[in-house]
Amino acid sequence: MSASNPASNLTPADVAAPVVAAPRAIALVAAIELAGALFLRQFLLAEDWRVVVAMLALFGAALVAMQRRPALEARIEAAFADQARLAALLGLAIVLAFPFVLEKSTYALHLLVLAQLYAVLALALNFQLGSANIPNFATGASYGIGAYASALLAVNWDVSFWLALPAAAVVATVFGFLLGVPSMRTRDSYLALVTIAFGVVIHQLLNNLEFTGGPNGLVGIPAPELFGHSFASPLVILGYDLPAQANFYYLSALLVGIAILFARRVHDSRVGLAWNALRADELAARCQGINATWYKVLAFAVDAFLAGFAGTIYAFYVGFISPDNFTFLVSVTIMTMVIAGGMDNTLGVIVGAFLLTLLPEKLRAFSDYRILFFGVTVIAFLMIRPQGLFPQRLRRYGA
Amino acid sequence: MSAPTILEGQGLTMRFGGLMAMAEVDFTLRKGEILGIIGPNGAGKSTLLNIVTGLYKPSSGAVRLAGERIDGLPAHRIVAMGIARTFQSSRLFGDLSVLDNVVIGRHALMKSGLLDAILRRGRAQAELNDAAERAAALLKAVSRDLYAQRHRPAAELPQADRRRLEIARALASEPRVLLLDEPSSGMDDADTDALMADIRAICAARPDLALMIIEHDMRLVAALPHRVLVLDYGQKLADGPYEEVRKIPRVQEAYLGRKAAQHARA
Repeated sequence: MSASNPASNLTPADVAAPVVAAPRAIALVAAIELAGALFLRQFLLAEDWRVVVAMLALFGAALVAMQRRPALEARIEAAFADQARLAALLGLAIVLAFPFVLEKSTYALHLLVLAQLYAVLALALNFQLGSANIPNFATGASYGIGAYASALLAVNWDVSFWLALPAAAVVATVFGFLLGVPSMRTRDSYLALVTIAFGVVIHQLLNNLEFTGGPNGLVGIPAPELFGHSFASPLVILGYDLPAQANFYYLSALLVGIAILFARRVHDSRVGLAWNALRADELAARCQGINATWYKVLAFAVDAFLAGFAGTIYAFYVGFISPDNFTFLVSVTIMTMVIAGGMDNTLGVIVGAFLLTLLPEKLRAFSDYRILFFGVTVIAFLMIRPQGLFPQRLRRYGA
Repeated sequence: MSAPTILEGQGLTMRFGGLMAMAEVDFTLRKGEILGIIGPNGAGKSTLLNIVTGLYKPSSGAVRLAGERIDGLPAHRIVAMGIARTFQSSRLFGDLSVLDNVVIGRHALMKSGLLDAILRRGRAQAELNDAAERAAALLKAVSRDLYAQRHRPAAELPQADRRRLEIARALASEPRVLLLDEPSSGMDDADTDALMADIRAICAARPDLALMIIEHDMRLVAALPHRVLVLDYGQKLADGPYEEVRKIPRVQEAYLGRKAAQHARA
């Protein structure tokens, strides 16, 4: 598809760093962020399937434009790099204001909470799959361990959400280490098999153990409270009533923010470089002084840590969890988000997570053909952008 | 040459199941010396390099770096102790920039870990920026051409530049011993000449650096190494200056076959 047009033969180096004047860069950044927010709002509120399909076509067209005109993409990228602070502040403002423009739709807010939790999970897996090319099919299991650990603490010992959150992350991290250590004896497909087995074992344990409630799961997980405000009650901001889901919207948005910060700092560090080296050539990486075993286990631990956080928020959000929330299929979905969004690209992974969470919901109009249409859409986007929606970028240092 | 010994191997033996890949090989390498390693295919040259760099653990024998035993240590620790290598078929980090490849070469010289990256970002960033600056300076010194291309993905480089980049990456760890595995393979004569000039310049700038070069190109073997070690069937055939080694009948036989060697002498 891309081979047929000469423009796409340009390498990034040929079109690198075009100079964009400051006012134009500001306008470009603001326009893109606002357009993105508007697009997301319309997509969330769209009820007519024709609108959904038209919006998907629009998104596809934008991808085609970016793929065909690398100069355009480079200009947008340069504008964002130039106005990084503005982009971050405006992005923050949009995230904060977003629930107010959703016409109090609880469904739209619910989808956003799920999409944000999946974004955290996808960012977690990206440390492994994207940065270090470790095919871990157990992120869903780590998610479940985090959810169960915090739910058990809350239900059995009345531990508050705010204490259960870090505790569950630590438990998930310990399990991440437990999975990471035996995994080091294998690689590639065999490693994938080990992680699949781990996920299945965790699922079976949750299903069969007495204290996890078996297939019935755990019920009655209390809603978190903050300064006397229960997360189960509507959120009133400046006299404006937001549905109760908005509490969790802001909470999960905060977690996404932390995960982004986390991901960027690690990516732009010696650790991120070491993971990238392992991804490219493990033997050569070891011969540059990289302790391959340690860095791989570390990737497992980081993945589990973030997934544990997401699991806790999920458990307290829905108030009821069962083993079927954390199946192998969840892990595969997270993996698809990373691959379709763009390996080792923070923005790409988040967009992938939103797309893959919202798409099946929005395609309910197709009832029986929903999954088919879903698959076709993802494949079509990947044909337009084979490296994922937003591919990995080369690092730059200093000035 | 009377400089102190930096690297030595004693009685190195390597068995893979029933196959004896290396038997009782001894070698020494002095500071500032260039040692050539030659021998027919399968003679054990790469096995020797893999033992020294910690990819293989010898079945018996010892490797000492400045008197310290290093055999059996994992590869990444040996790099940190000062032995760097390149590979016969270039093994660059293709999807990373040329500069990043060299920065990764400095991995063992940097310290910041995961928690530093997250909690003490300033310090981690300063360390990495410093590494990037040093890497850029090293690239510039090795090849201006490579320096100009430092923001390109390494996979896009032409063959000769890839070999140069691999040498730069290895030098980035500031090694005491540099091992080059067939640096001229796949190069034409002009490229090989440029490579030889590069290696000479690198050695001139680092008088203490010791080099071990596995090589097939006899032009390079005749010109660069101070001493040549000849391996055949995992055993040491000879060890000495190229001009002497090439006259030894067993060396000629190993390279040319018995009949041809007799013919050449006749």
